[in-house]
Amino acid sequence: MAVLSIKNLFIEYQIKSGAVKAVEDVSFDVEENESLGIVGESGCGKSTLGTAILRLLPQNAKITGEILLNGVNLLELDNESMRKIRGKDIAMIFQDPMTSLNPIMRVRDHFFELFKVHNPDIKKNEMIKIASEALESVGVDPKRLNNYPFEFSGGMRQRVMIALAIALKPKVLIADEPTTALDVVVQEQIMQVLKNLMKTKNMSIVLITHDMGIVAEMAERVAVMYAGNLVELGAIHKLYNKPMHPYTRMLLESIPNIKLDDMDLKFIPGSPPDLKNPPRGCKYYPRCPFTKDICKKNDPKTKKVDSRIVKCWIYGE
Amino acid sequence: MKTYILTRIGLSIPMILIILTIVFFVLRVLPGNPVLAMLGPKAPPSVVKAMEHQMGLDKPILVQYADYLKDIIHGNFGQSTVTGMPVLKELMQKFPATLELTIFAMIVAVFIGIFYGTLAAYKLGNPLDVSARIYSIFVYSFPVFWFGLMLQLIFGVWLHWLPVSGESSPFMTPDPMHTGLYVVDAIINGQWDVLKDSLEHLILPSITLGIVISSIFVRMVRANVVLTLSQQFVTAARARGAKEKSVLFRHALKNALPPILTIMGLEFALLLGGAVLTEVTFSWPGIGSYLVSRIHARDFTAIQGTIVFFAIFVAITSILVDVINAWINPRVRY
Repeated sequence: MAVLSIKNLFIEYQIKSGAVKAVEDVSFDVEENESLGIVGESGCGKSTLGTAILRLLPQNAKITGEILLNGVNLLELDNESMRKIRGKDIAMIFQDPMTSLNPIMRVRDHFFELFKVHNPDIKKNEMIKIASEALESVGVDPKRLNNYPFEFSGGMRQRVMIALAIALKPKVLIADEPTTALDVVVQEQIMQVLKNLMKTKNMSIVLITHDMGIVAEMAERVAVMYAGNLVELGAIHKLYNKPMHPYTRMLLESIPNIKLDDMDLKFIPGSPPDLKNPPRGCKYYPRCPFTKDICKKNDPKTKKVDSRIVKCWIYGE
Repeated sequence: MKTYILTRIGLSIPMILIILTIVFFVLRVLPGNPVLAMLGPKAPPSVVKAMEHQMGLDKPILVQYADYLKDIIHGNFGQSTVTGMPVLKELMQKFPATLELTIFAMIVAVFIGIFYGTLAAYKLGNPLDVSARIYSIFVYSFPVFWFGLMLQLIFGVWLHWLPVSGESSPFMTPDPMHTGLYVVDAIINGQWDVLKDSLEHLILPSITLGIVISSIFVRMVRANVVLTLSQQFVTAARARGAKEKSVLFRHALKNALPPILTIMGLEFALLLGGAVLTEVTFSWPGIGSYLVSRIHARDFTAIQGTIVFFAIFVAITSILVDVINAWINPRVRY
């Protein structure tokens, strides 16, 4: 059964000159113990989607649809109940570890705050015990609980963030570009940490990234987003070996490969549409080499094609 | 932390020395002869000479400078040319009144500044925020004496709720005096009628001063909290389920404090030098009123003494602010 289920989610940012449609009619499930990757270009709505699950979007964001956690619609909860879910049932790690920890609080106090928020009666030695275990599971010496964030490197801070996120054994971990701000060596270490956690802890991961390599390494299924729409979703190997949506195909082709003789980098011409004034019909048609007349007139429906989801007119009505 | 405090104190010694030097030379360069101011323009030259000799003004300027520094280190600020009393003694008599007014005014200003500013930042763009901005501009543009007069008119003259001037009513001073702070002394002595009288006298001047200063604080706090609220660690704290109150005060406000504390400390030090306009408006017998009356009397030693006194206070306050900042912010300490 799905732990997290997103149904017909629409997100709009109200700004002075109108509404930006950041997420449009997105639906997917996250199964238990599964890792789901969400990929797409910058500005395609993937971070908005991740942040919306925790209801942490700015005030001017309007969300409609359903976000079900074990069948409970998070969008219908009052603020207080939602707050109690954050950090306990769903946790999140962020892109920039350098700024994700409060600079004037010891690492220990970050943990203590988390524990006390969700259990006011918790004893101090119990808190230290859980915090130490969490740090150990991500490869940080528990002695460093007494350190301040500025005494850690970027990679270590991200480990601390992960330890904080998993300390209360959440059912879902949302990782919003967890390695983007780190160098490749540290990136690999953080990925190993996350992989180990997935093996040992009973937890689902939603991995948001623009790095196709990381998704390939980490995710079991992957969702491709374009201009606020989910254009394709499927098991990682099937999707990488035989992409169905033209956007997925071009996205994969634009990954540079050093083994190929043809050194020219492939890329997708044009840029994503202005989400304040998206094109009628399919959002991708201006950049798509297979555009038909119908693409310009009507937005394709989401279709299920052999256990995959794709949103394109190529696959019929 | 100990090393930090010691270093900080060590660093402020040259700073005080520089201020002392500037005060000395500026007062010597300014037009006007203190002896003539004392004796009047028609004094015979022989008397003037004798007086100059007595005050040491005929010595070479560097010798005078050395004497001046030596005196100050020994706590000797010179004698007032008007009353003949030691300036330091006069200042110490006036200082408690100023300190009392400053503390109460700062309580008002900090309270308004922190809460109004933080809430405005939290409700960015909402009516509360707009009202905070209007408040700061309005209040900042009030002349403090006009604002004081209006409060006197409303609460003193029309409503008869509060006294309009002075530090106490006749025969309503604490006895015996311990600290010179009426409120504190009245509590020590258990003289509750005196305490009530002192507090009543404090209300209007400290609200006047406090509200005028709060305008800067509201703006400072708002601007800095807006900045910290947009930081990722604030979102991260929310993502861990932190309560909004804790997000706002523990995470956002506390990180915004260093620049705010610096301004508050400086403002506090400035007020200790005497809130001249407020003290004069409310006939408050503090250092501000003292300085004004001595400027009128051309009492050079008293003016010099007041400035030095004030400068030392600014130095001490800035040490305190730095220590508090270091205590809040670990990055400063290391």
